[in-house]
Amino acid sequence: MNGAAPFNDLEERARWLRRQVFHMVMQHREGHAPSSFSMAEILTLLYYGGVARLRRGEPDWPDRDRILVSKGHAAHALYPILADLDYFDTAELDRFTEPGSFLGMYADNRVPGIEGISGSLGHGLGMGAGFALAARMDGRDYRTFVILGDGECYEGSIWESAMFAAHHRLDTLVAIVDRNALCILGRTEELVRLDPLADKWRSFGWAVAEVDGHDLGALRAALGRLGDTGGKPLAIVADTVKGKGIPFMEGRPEWHNRMPDEQQLALAWQALGGPEARGND
Amino acid sequence: MTESAILDKTAAAPAAPAPLMRDAFIDVLTEAAGDAPDILFVSADFGAKALDRYRRERASQFIHAGISEQNMVDLAAGLALSGKRVFLYAMAPFLTLRCLEQIKATVAAMQLPVTLVGVGVGLGYDHATLTHFAIEDLACLKAMNGIEILTPADAPTAEAAARLCLQAPAFRYIRLDRQAQPGLAPPLSAPGDLKPGLRVVGAGQTVAIVTCGALCQTALAAAAELAADGAAPRVIDLYRVKPLATDNLLQALDGCGAIVTVEEQLLDGGFGSAVAEALIDAGRLLPMRRLGLRDGFVVRNGHRDRLWQDFGIDRPAIVAAVRDLRQAAL
Repeated sequence: MNGAAPFNDLEERARWLRRQVFHMVMQHREGHAPSSFSMAEILTLLYYGGVARLRRGEPDWPDRDRILVSKGHAAHALYPILADLDYFDTAELDRFTEPGSFLGMYADNRVPGIEGISGSLGHGLGMGAGFALAARMDGRDYRTFVILGDGECYEGSIWESAMFAAHHRLDTLVAIVDRNALCILGRTEELVRLDPLADKWRSFGWAVAEVDGHDLGALRAALGRLGDTGGKPLAIVADTVKGKGIPFMEGRPEWHNRMPDEQQLALAWQALGGPEARGND
Repeated sequence: MTESAILDKTAAAPAAPAPLMRDAFIDVLTEAAGDAPDILFVSADFGAKALDRYRRERASQFIHAGISEQNMVDLAAGLALSGKRVFLYAMAPFLTLRCLEQIKATVAAMQLPVTLVGVGVGLGYDHATLTHFAIEDLACLKAMNGIEILTPADAPTAEAAARLCLQAPAFRYIRLDRQAQPGLAPPLSAPGDLKPGLRVVGAGQTVAIVTCGALCQTALAAAAELAADGAAPRVIDLYRVKPLATDNLLQALDGCGAIVTVEEQLLDGGFGSAVAEALIDAGRLLPMRRLGLRDGFVVRNGHRDRLWQDFGIDRPAIVAAVRDLRQAAL
């Protein structure tokens, strides 16, 4: 983690991220906390767990690893991390979704550290394949991490790009599927079945790991296969819980974009360690 | 009989066979790519004679995207964000509408220097009919933020367009005709020649025929017939429909009191619409007739010239429209 501040307790860092995101979202009651919370450990490990090669204060460093949150409704979860990396002023977080702020509910590449626009689903893997191919052409060794929603895997373009990446042996490309098993209207397996999801990636020619997406050690082990996949791109199907960290939201599709009332808000902060804990972050 | 002879009986036979626009365009890239590794050409399984050469000589700068237009555009966005000048190549209907959302959500949203090179605009794939017609591509693509759309009428213009894309990379859609077309005068051969956005290719007065692409030849044939009446219309090749150079158009229309637009597009949101919108915004609306495909059109099989006849965009239809409008214009 040659970019982030030393931070030994990654679990605490994940809690920090949830508090930061929840604070942002609750300011103007805009944003997607549950979708962010299911990938909190994934982001924590990438940015603070010694995985991604980044430089503090240098969002345009040419050899930086590229990280794309393709499930764009949750890309705002990156903002606290990017501010923490000195890519922009932390005070900007308090202006999230405000008129004139460059921190929108959907992230675009005007934000330092956001590699590409997202919001519409299904674009990130193709863009990531473009990054990985360009790296090879340019003789650079940066890697590309794309975080996909599992619901996003309904999009046909994901599989067009998956086929392409495997054919071109883009083994510096990693797709991390945030498998929280929920869409807006319900459970994926009841709406349109995605399983066996890992087998789908395997059959498209990817190296695949299936892990508990909230287990930092398991995620680290899975990401450790990067560079050792026999030329295959790496897919990590990370089983997660949407809303993880706020018990009454966990696994409940109706919280995708619902906002808590006053009582629920108090409960939520209690579960996250309290807004006062954020003040100490 | 060659394809172009079948499909363009109205055109004067060129001295030497004109090159295909796609070959003219790609040859420019092949030459330039030798010294510029950032030039990448991506095909969704569509070819050209010139592309065979490009693939031989610039193999490392060619990518086959699969017949996967969505992947092709997203991939291009990633490559363009990595500093590449990317050219995407496919049949026009698939390059545009199959991946319209990708174009909007990545290339347009981030204003990336990606050039869409579509072949077979309008009714070029005549016998393939409805799925292969590119008759909504103008309406859809000119709705994209920040795009520049060029429709070369001949190979030199296609070549100039390729040079422009190299010199000033931007988000562009280049609409190439499937068939070779005779060169028009004045020739457009340097990128700077494309600056005006239009050219007067037939001198005349009272009524102006405004069109682009292959239909320039038909418009000129109609103008020749009308000249026999003693009043030739002016013929304007409006090769850049977006951004439309309104001031230049008004200047080119000077002395004309009425306009006939001709297009191989569904009229809703198409070429004539763009002309009308420009004139309305300038407060200079003139009597106008739009010739193009009308909503509810029905296709019967036939060569392109037969389709033009069926859809009322052939030479006789243009002649009749100009004659009708003459009275209004005087």
